[in-house]
Amino acid sequence: MSRVGTSRCSRPGGARGLLVLTLLAAAGLAGACGRSGPPAPSSEQVYRFRLHEDPPTLDPALANDEFSESVVLNVNRGLVVLDPKTLEIQPAVAESWTVSPDGLVYTFRLRDGVLFHNGRPVTARDVEYSFERLLRKATGSPRRFLLAPIAGAKEFTAGTSASIAGLAAPDDRTIVLRLAKPFAPFLSELTMANASILPREIYDDPRKAYLRAPVGCGPFRFSRWEQANFIELLAFDRYYGGRPALDRVIIRMIENKTSALQEYIAGGLDSLDEPPDDNDTAMMAKVGPEVHRFPFMGTGYIGFNLALPPFKGNVALRKAFNYAVDKQYLWGVLFPGSSTPANGIIPPGIPGHDPDLPGYPHDEAKARNLLAQAGYPAGNGLPPISCWVNTGEDNRRIAEQVQSDLKKIGVDITIREVDWGAYIAAVSGSPEKPGQAPMFRSGWSLDYPDADAILRPLLHSSNWGPSGNFGRYKNAEVDRLIDQALVVTDPKERADLYRRAERIAVMDDPPWIFLNYYQARTLYKPYVKGVVLSPLGKFRLPLDRLRIERGST
Amino acid sequence: MPVLLAAATIVWIFVFLLPGDPARLMAGGQSVDPEILNSIRHEWGLDRPAPLQYLCYLEKLIRFDLGTSYVQRRPVVSIVAGSFPPTFILAVTALLLATGAGLVLGSLAALQRGRLLDSFVLILALVGTSMPVFWLGMILMLLFASRLGWLPVLGYGMEGAFIPFTSVRLPEWDHLVLPALTLSLVSLGAIARITRASLIEAGTSEFLQTARAKGASRARVFVRHTLQNALIPVVTVIGMDFAGLLGGAVATEYVFAWPGLGKAIVRAIGLRDLPVVEGGVLFLTAVFVLVSLAVDLAYLYLDPRIQYAPSG
Repeated sequence: MSRVGTSRCSRPGGARGLLVLTLLAAAGLAGACGRSGPPAPSSEQVYRFRLHEDPPTLDPALANDEFSESVVLNVNRGLVVLDPKTLEIQPAVAESWTVSPDGLVYTFRLRDGVLFHNGRPVTARDVEYSFERLLRKATGSPRRFLLAPIAGAKEFTAGTSASIAGLAAPDDRTIVLRLAKPFAPFLSELTMANASILPREIYDDPRKAYLRAPVGCGPFRFSRWEQANFIELLAFDRYYGGRPALDRVIIRMIENKTSALQEYIAGGLDSLDEPPDDNDTAMMAKVGPEVHRFPFMGTGYIGFNLALPPFKGNVALRKAFNYAVDKQYLWGVLFPGSSTPANGIIPPGIPGHDPDLPGYPHDEAKARNLLAQAGYPAGNGLPPISCWVNTGEDNRRIAEQVQSDLKKIGVDITIREVDWGAYIAAVSGSPEKPGQAPMFRSGWSLDYPDADAILRPLLHSSNWGPSGNFGRYKNAEVDRLIDQALVVTDPKERADLYRRAERIAVMDDPPWIFLNYYQARTLYKPYVKGVVLSPLGKFRLPLDRLRIERGST
Repeated sequence: MPVLLAAATIVWIFVFLLPGDPARLMAGGQSVDPEILNSIRHEWGLDRPAPLQYLCYLEKLIRFDLGTSYVQRRPVVSIVAGSFPPTFILAVTALLLATGAGLVLGSLAALQRGRLLDSFVLILALVGTSMPVFWLGMILMLLFASRLGWLPVLGYGMEGAFIPFTSVRLPEWDHLVLPALTLSLVSLGAIARITRASLIEAGTSEFLQTARAKGASRARVFVRHTLQNALIPVVTVIGMDFAGLLGGAVATEYVFAWPGLGKAIVRAIGLRDLPVVEGGVLFLTAVFVLVSLAVDLAYLYLDPRIQYAPSG
């Protein structure tokens, strides 16, 4: 190809003229658009809520986040389920169960007439299959530990045994689980989405179609999933608990918080997990009455890296930091209504929570004294300290407030805001090597209502590194109490053991700055009825109780 | 091909250097058993030495295999195939809007050079080019959707028609307007300005006097001679913008919850879903190369002076 000079007007230009006109016409057409508001209400019961993004998976065995669980828990059912209001364990696929006096043998009687969405009845063989699948190494479940207490589970996962010694299905309606040793929260663990009962004929598919079209025995059956757009669920007419009132559930993926709020106001969503800030008076004037607040099972904190100076072995310094932070200001003024100040670790509503634990009320004078006792009077001599936070406006604002409070006692810290991948790598380290972050803002939401679900992963010394104890906390007495509570079956005795463990970890040897007990804030349209404001949080909720009553307020 | 190989290598290196452990993010949650982490690393080959991982990646590419998503556990090809059409539709519509409006405004400005309209168009072009897409998108959303209620706030819609013989669903047309308008304003300014400049330059050419001397009407002189000749640099800008729009629609997709490829790639970066990042970027690179080729061909078509010369 080469350029050859010719006259510009010598060539017929009909086609080129047409191109020009086509471009103009297309632009005009594309711009000539009319109006279309949100979908008009109809007699069909449709409930629309928002997830920030696609659930990473709809395979119950792989679900390890609340977005996945929000779908999985409504498409599937396990042997038992948590009542979202009372947090009591209720029958689900199992209609009843017994536990042997030594706490080792769990015998479940399955409900008659439970059907998968493909119409096949659920049997004890399906329970057996589902539990084997969760434990099988090839499944790659990050939560196979939930069934690890079953005798022979570890051998099965390791491949040294072809079957699970402690798992038996003597008939189609009975399943027997024998544990290697007593494990008090075992029944709670069976309420998790991962322990759902699955049909073998679907989940043995080598093409893995179930990843995009799951089949379960829950109240809603999967209909369709458009990537990054929506997931649609339909009521399962033959659900054992009775057909849900909702005909359809539309789960919409909307990442941007501001856009989602506009969509909620316009009527395109029936609930929203991120209401405007209480300080946003203009927005609250519009939607304030629709904001529901309720505590949920979670605790926020700023962790110390206890394997590195200056926090290693320096209890006085950690206490000084705790007294320096004004939690009342944080949750009363900066983020009103989003949390309550924490005095400890175990959140309210969980057996073992201690409302009388003194904690660390804001006291600058005490903080200065302790700082001097720690060997750093007025902060002099402290090495550079950075506080790592996961990207997010709220995380940053919390860290900035803590930074400002610490500055008042002479301590300078810097804030490192990085995305989740970089954050978790810097904070968690490995079992052998501590993370690089000296301080980190974090939070923990309990999987089920049991103090073991927060104390063990975050504070037991066997869980250093990625297992949850990022700060590498180690206290022999705390370890002992947590271990003891695991095998005790009396609930009162267990709660007392957890209270004792917490008191040591908070008052004698603090591993964190104790910040807040979470409160969920969610918007619901007035016509959404049957809403349960559950300590399980905003997403891990059964939707079969909801109904739409338009015209009501 | 060398461009794609270079792109594949650069993308792989950058993705590999991202801080964070993909296995840790694959496992999800905050608490993960280290033994499970090790088995995930082994399953996905993340425990192999970096050069070996790179060679495996290239070997798959040669077989047109973009790999499997760590997170979604399905082929990257199907993820790209699912998220590219919305981005493509958005970018094409935005480009059509930008081109149409840009040509009209640029032409008007050139015809009214030095007058009020010209100044208005120049300021509009400057503002359109300078405004952050994110902010502009929110303003348009608040005005046309939230306040006036003329258009949906966001989303792709659920009921659009499928393109025959494909699994590609078109957006509901009213859902397309605001994101396309937002995205178009990025290019509109550039197209209007280049159109204006080209028309002013072409307007001083001697061949226009020839055309007028031959008795051509004013309209014919403008459309057939001035505008047509001025289009050549405009087409170049449009081609470059189109490629840019494909990759640069992320902010618009974010604001309007548009299920496009840009958003999918950004999300994959956050999740360290490396095969999706690599596959998505490589696919966009290939599209960029193809669009550049198409622009070259269009250039050849629009400019009669460009011809294939006989070899030798």
